[in-house]
Amino acid sequence: MSLLQSIKNGVRKRSIHVCYVNTGSCNGCDIEILACLSPRYDIEQYGIYVHNNPREADVILVTGGMSPQWIDKLPDLFDRVPEPKAVVTIGNCPISGCVFNRPGCVIDPPVSKYIPVTAAVPGCPPRPTEIINAILSAADELFKNHEEKKEAKK
Amino acid sequence: MSVLSYLKEFLRPSWLKSFFFAKTAPLENPPYFRDFPQITGNECTNCLSCKMICPCQGAIDVIQENGKWMPYITYGHCVRCGYCVEACPEEVLTSGDILDKKRLEGLEFIHEYKVIVDEEACMGCGNCSTACPANREIDPHIGAGGTAMSDDVLMRVERGKNRVLHNDLCKGCKVCMDTCPNKSIHVVRTVQAVQEAYK
Repeated sequence: MSLLQSIKNGVRKRSIHVCYVNTGSCNGCDIEILACLSPRYDIEQYGIYVHNNPREADVILVTGGMSPQWIDKLPDLFDRVPEPKAVVTIGNCPISGCVFNRPGCVIDPPVSKYIPVTAAVPGCPPRPTEIINAILSAADELFKNHEEKKEAKK
Repeated sequence: MSVLSYLKEFLRPSWLKSFFFAKTAPLENPPYFRDFPQITGNECTNCLSCKMICPCQGAIDVIQENGKWMPYITYGHCVRCGYCVEACPEEVLTSGDILDKKRLEGLEFIHEYKVIVDEEACMGCGNCSTACPANREIDPHIGAGGTAMSDDVLMRVERGKNRVLHNDLCKGCKVCMDTCPNKSIHVVRTVQAVQEAYK
């Protein structure tokens, strides 16, 4: 591992920029993400910053069970996120649709049909600690030695 | 001058220590947190109390493995309400402090079945009364048209309509629902949570 790569690893580990996307959730998971920002959990001490702009983000947090309006927009939004990028889905809805997945409903879960999902956090809603753990572990795995992995892929 | 004072401030050991080694809050769940139900190791009797009380579709399944029945929770469907833990008579599942609370306060779910006949749709064919196992146990000579001489049967056909006489006999098998040609009969399971002191 080169020196530059190790510096990049160190920086990326403590600077994860997050953008959250609500694809038709009930706001329960969004409130749980909001609790991560509060002094009790305080995600900034782990080096996670919230930017609601996909062009600045490293990780997108998807909540909700894919309403029809999002079906073309979510892959589009995912394309705008610069590499290296990760997707963490929060709650049951992106996995199964949970309570919204009933006969006659128009939502179309899972989210992994439309964009590649790195980690999924089950729960209705999940605890803030589970969300932070998922973001940290997924981002660490995915962003480590990104340049070297890209070279190896070529 | 001011630059020097800033540098002096930033080189203070206590400041450096707190800046680089800031203590982060532990990412731990409190002991009373009701996580996804875990298996305690008690023997499951396949009574399906857990599956019947579950408010989410596909969240819990009772699966036979090596001759043993065991509940299986599907993550992504389970909402961690804890009803299955409370409803299980054998205490097969556990989650947080639910079992302790249940024992302490004597909590219990009691259920009953209610047979509802849609008077508009019922055409009095008697399929349900004839098929009902509770009916046949009481009156084996029940007619093919669902007419019974006995007054103790669960339901019988009177004046061209199916009438429910004794709701408490229903065991919830739902054979009547399967045999009804126009879906006019329904078996409803109502559940009530009771505490020991108020029983």
